[in-house]
Amino acid sequence: MAHTDSNPNDPILLMNSVEVLYDSVLLAIKGVSIEVPRGGMVALLGSNGAGKSTTLKAISGLLRAERGKVSRGEIKFDGQNINDILPQNRVGLGICHVIEGRRVFEHLTPDENLEAAAPPSMSRKKIASEKERMYEYFPRLAERKSSQSGYLSGGEQQMLAIGRALMTQPRLLMLDEPSLGLAPFLVAEIFGILQRINKEQGLSVLLVEQNAVAALEIVSHGYLIENGRVVMHETADALKENSDIQEFYLGGGEGKNFHDIKHYSRRKRWLS
Amino acid sequence: MFYRLSGVRHTSYIADSKMFKVPADRNLVVVFLLFGLVAPFLVPSLYLNSYMLPWLIWTAATLGLNLVTGWAGQLHLGYAAIMAVGAYASVHAAKFGLPWEVALLIGGLASSVIGSLFAFTALRVKGLYLALTTLAMQFVMDWVLTHSPAISGGSHASLQSPTFALLGQKITSDTGLYYVAFGWCVLVTIFMLNLKRTGLGRALVAVREKDFAAAILGVNSFYYKLVAFAASSFIAGITGALLVVTFYFLAAPEQFAVNVSIQVLAMVIIGGLGSIIGSYLGAALILLMPGVVNQLFTYIASVMGWELGLETLAHIPNAAYGALIIIVLMVEPMGLGKLYANIRDYLMVWPFDQLKK
Amino acid sequence: MDWVYLTELAVNGAMTGLLYSLVAIGLVLIYKSSSVPNLAQGALTMLGAYVVLAFSDILGWPLWVAIPLAAIIMFFVGMGIERVALRRLAGRPVVMILMMTMGIEIFLRSTTLAIWGGTSRSMNLGVSYDPLFVGDVLLNRVYIVGAGVAIALFVVFLLFFRTRIGIRLRAISDDYMASWSVGISVERGVGLSWGLASVVAVAAGVIWGEVQGVDQSLSILLLKGLTVAVLGGLDSIVGAIIAGIILGILESVGANFLDPLVGGGSRDLIVAMVLILTVMIRPHGLFGRHDIERI
Repeated sequence: MAHTDSNPNDPILLMNSVEVLYDSVLLAIKGVSIEVPRGGMVALLGSNGAGKSTTLKAISGLLRAERGKVSRGEIKFDGQNINDILPQNRVGLGICHVIEGRRVFEHLTPDENLEAAAPPSMSRKKIASEKERMYEYFPRLAERKSSQSGYLSGGEQQMLAIGRALMTQPRLLMLDEPSLGLAPFLVAEIFGILQRINKEQGLSVLLVEQNAVAALEIVSHGYLIENGRVVMHETADALKENSDIQEFYLGGGEGKNFHDIKHYSRRKRWLS
Repeated sequence: MFYRLSGVRHTSYIADSKMFKVPADRNLVVVFLLFGLVAPFLVPSLYLNSYMLPWLIWTAATLGLNLVTGWAGQLHLGYAAIMAVGAYASVHAAKFGLPWEVALLIGGLASSVIGSLFAFTALRVKGLYLALTTLAMQFVMDWVLTHSPAISGGSHASLQSPTFALLGQKITSDTGLYYVAFGWCVLVTIFMLNLKRTGLGRALVAVREKDFAAAILGVNSFYYKLVAFAASSFIAGITGALLVVTFYFLAAPEQFAVNVSIQVLAMVIIGGLGSIIGSYLGAALILLMPGVVNQLFTYIASVMGWELGLETLAHIPNAAYGALIIIVLMVEPMGLGKLYANIRDYLMVWPFDQLKK
Repeated sequence: MDWVYLTELAVNGAMTGLLYSLVAIGLVLIYKSSSVPNLAQGALTMLGAYVVLAFSDILGWPLWVAIPLAAIIMFFVGMGIERVALRRLAGRPVVMILMMTMGIEIFLRSTTLAIWGGTSRSMNLGVSYDPLFVGDVLLNRVYIVGAGVAIALFVVFLLFFRTRIGIRLRAISDDYMASWSVGISVERGVGLSWGLASVVAVAAGVIWGEVQGVDQSLSILLLKGLTVAVLGGLDSIVGAIIAGIILGILESVGANFLDPLVGGGSRDLIVAMVLILTVMIRPHGLFGRHDIERI
């Protein structure tokens, strides 16, 4: 399917007023519009159940596995509408979704995990060189490349999941809560690697995180999602400065001391 | 319009916990009950005893299996073996001289005991592995029956059952036997209908959904699995005995072999797991369909002038049976009970729902 | 204690067991990738044998043409069954899936018999019926061929699962969602495994057809194949081979001792008991994965 010549200034991903229904009755996302610029790093922030994972699944097509569907709106990848394309074919277009909870192939070795994700058309030599590249990004994996992936530690599994996604030669990498359950130094290490890949290869990244502190360190701008809607869209610095974000998502806030323990959260200023 | 829920308002807790809350449901059931009662006077005796009687008995069996598989979620591929235990125990007890009421009870209790053994495997495994274990137990039972002349009279012999009698009265007429089957089926149906109102029913559903979560909430999942197996085996035992007494008139091991177990399970699944109306529909479909298809084939063959070999004819009912299972599961995996519910829901808002996009 | 006789029983039993493994391998292939216990494997085995016969007896083609042709046809039959009947039941309770495979078993078995008739035919593989003597032990040549086929298949699949397609199939059996997320077509993988299992069914049908004639009893192999698969671990091909050997020996030697005690027919009883004991003591079998208990 031909698409219009993509203008290098066009965003690589464009979501327009998308609504997502689960089981034909549960409206999980109520009109979300998001843009990811080429080569950019964007964060989707929000608390539990806000709809961030659903947004990613709508883009990658994994909604179908959970009886969900995009009931309204359009999703354009590189100018091309991808609403009707099967998930495995979207990967071929260049979208790769690292799903929540790592989900490595437990009974396969890391080496086999990487091999499983390689596109069928990739030659043997290319696969070998790509694997080498992954081991160079994630040296820890190289040490464990022949044990069963199920026995890897959490951090190693997350690295494997990212490396596996990179084997598919993506142009847009989407990560769902990569910091989940990881020690802070591991989070810093992984996020550092993401930044490096973004700079070296120009890979666009869409990062969904509850850990807003870590996310805002590496992205250029972010969206805040609450209850299935985008409530804020600012640069990372503006988000960090915003006092509401500080209070509700970054753990800062105006004068919290023991006397104020039993105080009621003030109403968020964007809910007017 | 035809099935109305509007205007149904309950003003007391007792009214709300009635078995049939909706008048339409209640009336439908009363109609069928009346029809069942007067059937011997309306329906020719051939149809009564060749079709309606086995249908009622197999429905009772299906309801019993539904209790353990549909409500308690324990897969059971050995139901026919349990029925066999009840059948043989009852017949032997009656031959021994005990009155039939006692003999039936003995059959039920014997089945209950053996059936509870299956519960012990359910404690260890679930799902596919439970199915395989019960299947294996069915084979073992088959083997025991054919190799114990004392119980079964040998693999090719059959055990003649003494004439059936209740309360001293010998029952030999078609109508009488029909009423026995009808009465038993109604009893089992009432038991199953009440299940959803009782704590037992709720506990079984909890065990079905997630037995460890139920255990945390204080529902002793092993106890309830045991109860489910014991109760459904009791039903199986008496049903098996009645099957022999009112329909077959003699007991032979082939009547309770593996394919019979699969047949009852098919009735349950095609009817819909846990659905009571589904049990009736599933049993009817499985009993009647192969015969109907066979006649259809023979008719078409005679009209078209095809030659159907004897071999072919012998296997068509089975092929139809298999095809039936496949087709129903493809069209409506939740079974005929769900299909019935769909139609009823459609009629509930007819003609208004059609105006929606 | 007649050791020669016992050895004979054990060896022949082991080879019979490997023939059960032929059916078990088909079961494992499908279970590994789609978590479906394919109770129709027995009927597929029977259908496979009859299709081979249709080419060789009715059309008169030589076996080395008939068998591969039948394999190709059955490959697509297996894929078709998965695509049409099983795919829409994905995610449903396992009892429905079991019932569907049972329905397919009944339908295939009856239709096959309706078309081809139930009289037993012989496969005519061309293996001589002269007994083979290794030392004092009497061996059956056909069984040796069958055992050889089973082991050959085992090696083929062991190698296959190291190829790229094989790795993808193993990935699918680990995690569907993760597979989709990296571009692996789960649908195609599952279809492929059904196709492969049907090809194995043809091999099993040919060998068993030679051993006991092509008739409806081929379908009864299912319980034995199932027991072997469970004993070995429902998702382990290695397990299917080793469990086959074990079950074959147990059945053969055990029946020898039990038959006089119980008056015959104890082979099937032993198989049923092995199944029950395996499920009770170690449900995931000898080589299966531990997590299978939590179906």
